[in-house]
Amino acid sequence: MPLTPAALEELRALLGEGGVLAGDAALFTYEADGLVIEKARPEVVALPRSTDEVCAVVRWARAYGLPVVPRGAGTGLAGGATCERGGVSLSLNRMNRVLRLDEERMFAWVHPGMVNLSLSQQLAPQGLYFAPDPSSQQVSTIGGNVSTNAGGPHCLKYGVTYNHVLGLTVVTADGVAVTLGGEGCDFPGFDLASVVVGSEGTCAIVTEVCVRLSPVPESVKTMLFDFADITDAGETVSRVVAAGIVPAALEIMDRVTTGVVEAWVQMGLPTDADALLLIELDGPAVALESQVGRIEEIAKAHRARSVRVAKDADERALLWKGRKSAFGAFGRAATGFYVMDGVVPRTRVAEALATTYRLAGEVGLRVGNVFHAGDGNLHPNVMFDAHSPRQQADALAVAQAILRECIRLGGTISGEHGIGIEKRSMMAEMFAPEDLAVMERVRHAFNPDGVLNPGKVLPAEGDAAHGYVPAPVPAGAARPGAEGPWT
Amino acid sequence: MSVTPAEWAREMAQDAERYALGGAVPAFAVRPAGAVEAAEVVRACAADRLALVPWGGGVSLEGEGRPARYDVALDLTGLDRVTVYDPDDYTISAECGITIASLRAKLAEHGQELPLEAAHAVRATLGGVLAANAAGPRRLRFGAPRDRILGARFVTGDGVLAKSGGRVVKNVAGHAVHRLLTGSRGGLGVLLEASLKLTPHPPARVALAFGCGAAALADAARWAPFARREPAVLSVLGRAAASGLGALDSGAPFTCVLGWEDDGAWLADCEAFAHGKLGTPAQRTEDAGVPAIWQLLADAQETPGPRLTFASGHNSPAALAPLAGRACAERLVFHAPSGRLLLWPAPDEAAALVAELAGLGFVPVEARGLDLPPAKPPATVSALRSALRQALDPAATMALGDWWEQSA
Repeated sequence: MPLTPAALEELRALLGEGGVLAGDAALFTYEADGLVIEKARPEVVALPRSTDEVCAVVRWARAYGLPVVPRGAGTGLAGGATCERGGVSLSLNRMNRVLRLDEERMFAWVHPGMVNLSLSQQLAPQGLYFAPDPSSQQVSTIGGNVSTNAGGPHCLKYGVTYNHVLGLTVVTADGVAVTLGGEGCDFPGFDLASVVVGSEGTCAIVTEVCVRLSPVPESVKTMLFDFADITDAGETVSRVVAAGIVPAALEIMDRVTTGVVEAWVQMGLPTDADALLLIELDGPAVALESQVGRIEEIAKAHRARSVRVAKDADERALLWKGRKSAFGAFGRAATGFYVMDGVVPRTRVAEALATTYRLAGEVGLRVGNVFHAGDGNLHPNVMFDAHSPRQQADALAVAQAILRECIRLGGTISGEHGIGIEKRSMMAEMFAPEDLAVMERVRHAFNPDGVLNPGKVLPAEGDAAHGYVPAPVPAGAARPGAEGPWT
Repeated sequence: MSVTPAEWAREMAQDAERYALGGAVPAFAVRPAGAVEAAEVVRACAADRLALVPWGGGVSLEGEGRPARYDVALDLTGLDRVTVYDPDDYTISAECGITIASLRAKLAEHGQELPLEAAHAVRATLGGVLAANAAGPRRLRFGAPRDRILGARFVTGDGVLAKSGGRVVKNVAGHAVHRLLTGSRGGLGVLLEASLKLTPHPPARVALAFGCGAAALADAARWAPFARREPAVLSVLGRAAASGLGALDSGAPFTCVLGWEDDGAWLADCEAFAHGKLGTPAQRTEDAGVPAIWQLLADAQETPGPRLTFASGHNSPAALAPLAGRACAERLVFHAPSGRLLLWPAPDEAAALVAELAGLGFVPVEARGLDLPPAKPPATVSALRSALRQALDPAATMALGDWWEQSA
């Protein structure tokens, strides 16, 4: 239902002329995030410039009974920023500054619309950076990272976004600003910020973030190995970590991925390899030389066919180029591809990979795997013909079956992308009804009438309409209860 | 209600005197053998409007004041199994009554560790450490329990057995109730089983103790470069706090303990840097001997007596300069990287100290054994806290809560 001109005038009075978008073209831009198959148009786009303006927007929306859906760069892959029920798309992109930097104590208060990589670039003269580095970091925002508790290739060593958030200023469902946590560790009281991080905008709107900063590592070493057997690559990863070396990144690309990447970027990757393993070490220069040697020994003992160690930043960028080109290459290799974000315990990675090939193969689709090998976070990409509704449905079914396998192996349906709309139905396969009910209670305490990003993360009515096929439950078999096996 | 208090008393009865808090002895003390049984006890308490305190080793409950209501002690030390542990996953799932020392022993067999730094690790349980979000000197480098926990099975205040998170190291599925319960001091429910992220033993460790006078302590420029070298430990002990701690007793007004855990060549470089800045250490410990030093520092946090604990954004020993020469500095413990300060003041100076330190950026987080009601949190925070408490513990079954709870 379009808003009345008077209502829009009120909003313009709160945010200024440039703070409100209500034209068709603008609304079209905001109808989806990275999950482009889910589209829904907001009634209005609000672009506040401060915490106070966010408070004002939430109060205004309440007065008109509109939901408020916060949005950063819109790179989310799960539909978390989609205005499924219309309402206000609250774009935080104009709140994009570093508010305060404390170089000595290594923290900064930043706006949520600050782009992840811009923050680190801005801090570079001080020798500091923000460690979480989701692959979208050139575009994605700190607020978006907080709301999905984003990871990235380097979170094996440095942890995920949550581990780097000291405090938050949030706007509650009542349109009131609250500061949670602060500039140090472990402030008193219930850790309310711990729930807001990763809640995909369903508990509160993050308007200022106190991030913990890290010193830029003095030195970086990047190595690329290739293996005739992917299990040798996995075993190398295990032995490296067992040797007390925690690399900054451990990334594996399988044969299919290497094939599509090489076809695109033509950088001389060995397309006959079963797996390419990229290992990056960072830290003090004096520590890295011996670690490089140890890793080479381990890899060779596990039948690595070749070793490349980057000599400088240019070579390093080249070794990463293959990995970073993977998603673009999938986009080029097929008219449609569907990327998943399942996680399994590290010891079950080989089993999970085999399952992805089998499931895709059964319906004649190709799947390529590129993943964070150190933490078991798989990103299977199922390729399909976007012009074939049947292939698209098959791809979706394969994706769900893969995530189901991740659950069965003791893992999860999302390691870093979030649940959003995309995977909320599968929450009921991962968690027992009482688990979900407790989560709902916690959310309700923050967002009692569902004005903030309604319908996301937890299972909702009508999910079948989104292509979700419930897991077949054998007659008489119970869903895993809270007393059941540990997920 | 499936279990009556009389039935517990018969089947799980413990000596209630052992669970006294601030002189209050509960009517019942029960020690369930499993999660389902523990949940039944909580559910029964909720139904009968009884107030309950979960117990592990009692380390974080030492010095606890008299609860307003206290009917049942729920002793979780019977839930002490490791439930899932495949070393190559670098995660472990265990029941919350297991002691930190048993966990450490189990992990050490595989060259791994759980860097949770509990005081009195032989007694402290996993559940107690999580509920208190207890941390020690390595807090910043290796994280607090809130950073280590991956998922948990728990029972809410109204007796619902549920779980959140999982046991893999990356997981963003659903609301992180397990993180909310971490540090909640049993105010919202009871943690029964948890999964945690592990680390490999570092290749090398070193701990250096330096004696330090007031002028050296206040020299901010001298300390500033250490933060960028990310020491595992940079702790300051007052003279009396260090006295009798053997390897940490420098005899000086302050003992500064510096430590790194990393590659051996880098440690040698850091050690040389520390010598250049701070002179020759009074004591030096390396490798296998170092964890005992960290344990001494964690134990120092639990020195008996009325205690004030502060959080801060400070990361330099120089932040303590205003306290030098004062009586309260004799027993201070400060972990610089994480900004945590503990003091054992004379009871009559505690209130003035809190006010003074607030002006210096130290936020009080606990006042143990002191009649010092905390300042109320902002109304907005209070409202959220109450809503959560109402959501997870509607019958007010959980007798304790966070510090602010006690002032409400």
